[in-house]
Amino acid sequence: MKKPARLTFLIAAVLAVFVFLLAETVVVKIKTTSLRRDPKFTAPIVAAIKAGDSLEKLEARDGWVKVKTKAGVVGWLHSTAVESKKLGLLAMDKTMKTQASAGEVALAAKGFNKQVEDKYRAGNAAADFAAVDAMEKVRPTPAEVEAFMKEGKLGEFGGSR
Amino acid sequence: MTARAKALVSIAIAASLSFSGCQAVKQGAADIIASTGKVSREDAQSLVRTAEVVRSTFAEITEEEEYYIGRATAALILSKYMPYRNEALNSYVNVMGTILAYNSDRPETYGGYHFLVLDTDEVNAMAAPGGFIFVTKGLVRRCGDEETLAAILAHEIGHVAERHGLQSIKKSRLLDAFKVIGSEASRQFNSEELAKVTGIFEGVLGDVVETLVERGYDRKFEYEADKLALSFAVRTGYSPGGLAEFLVGMEEHKPSGTAAGWFKTHPSPADRLVRVKTETAVLGAAPAKLDVRTARFAEAAKNLR
Repeated sequence: MKKPARLTFLIAAVLAVFVFLLAETVVVKIKTTSLRRDPKFTAPIVAAIKAGDSLEKLEARDGWVKVKTKAGVVGWLHSTAVESKKLGLLAMDKTMKTQASAGEVALAAKGFNKQVEDKYRAGNAAADFAAVDAMEKVRPTPAEVEAFMKEGKLGEFGGSR
Repeated sequence: MTARAKALVSIAIAASLSFSGCQAVKQGAADIIASTGKVSREDAQSLVRTAEVVRSTFAEITEEEEYYIGRATAALILSKYMPYRNEALNSYVNVMGTILAYNSDRPETYGGYHFLVLDTDEVNAMAAPGGFIFVTKGLVRRCGDEETLAAILAHEIGHVAERHGLQSIKKSRLLDAFKVIGSEASRQFNSEELAKVTGIFEGVLGDVVETLVERGYDRKFEYEADKLALSFAVRTGYSPGGLAEFLVGMEEHKPSGTAAGWFKTHPSPADRLVRVKTETAVLGAAPAKLDVRTARFAEAAKNLR
């Protein structure tokens, strides 16, 4: 590579990294979850999202992040549902390394996964995965959650404090 | 290019590598960094290695891995205990648990929180990693109101939020697993790797299940979960008195002989009570107990006896 060409490449590489960081992308690390209109779990759902989805971070407030999907939908997610890609750079700082490592692996690598579970199940018939599947299927609806909170004067419906 | 600019380029390239699992890219990057002339080849390679993914502790178990460890742990618990067939009670516990999880420090886990009542008179509660939470019929019977059951669920959510279950995995086992798993981006194991990783997975489950069912967590984790239970319950809108009430009841029913079940896996209720009272005092103004909640608890638990 001639020198000017290499210089151009290096400048382009730096620019690419910085543009990428400025955009502040967050990645969903939860199997499936919802994007909500406001930063609270009782807010209306505006979109369904899944593990690996890249979202543009717009704002952060009280443990919630406001994001925009590739389709242009804007909504709020709890910060524990996403991780910042920016941590990749901060991994250079030793104190941040743990988070960065776990994050990168979460999105890219193999590990204890479905393939391992299937192999384990094949040799351990006593482990009752069918019961676990049934347990996972029980998911209260937003309407059930709201009714329970209202009736019991919990959360934003409280006032007995 | 100035030395400073070159250093900046090096850092940028090393950082961008953490987004790439490809060995050729890593080597190429080391070459480019070294070719700036300001960094030796050894340093360049070490810079690249720093940006690579290296896992060594429980904190680096991914959310997805935690979910699969939790699922299998739950499957093993459900090989020992039957689910309690009472849809109304299970639904009540799931709605309450979900709201408490929303108000915890970790409302989102890979597969979400799920709650199940177990059909046994034993008094116990357990949380498998990732959010699979079990309470026994015997425990629900011991609770006098919704505040008490909320405190128990919040305590278990605290164990999940702080990943206490994962901390019972032997470090050597994790290192073995991480070595086989590696950091390449492929999601499929070949058959030899799969056999190895599954063997390690079985060991991991052994560590976690033994802690949950037989040995109990380290005391400091129980105290921490109590503290979190108070905070999550109050944030949700519950009176903080539920936990103390439960512990007083457990102290009164302490077995005289060898400790089993809950008494074996938890520190003495009296010890916990002292700490819980201190923690409650510093909470300040908190919500009060409400009759409407006590009434619906009684309704949900009415067919237990």
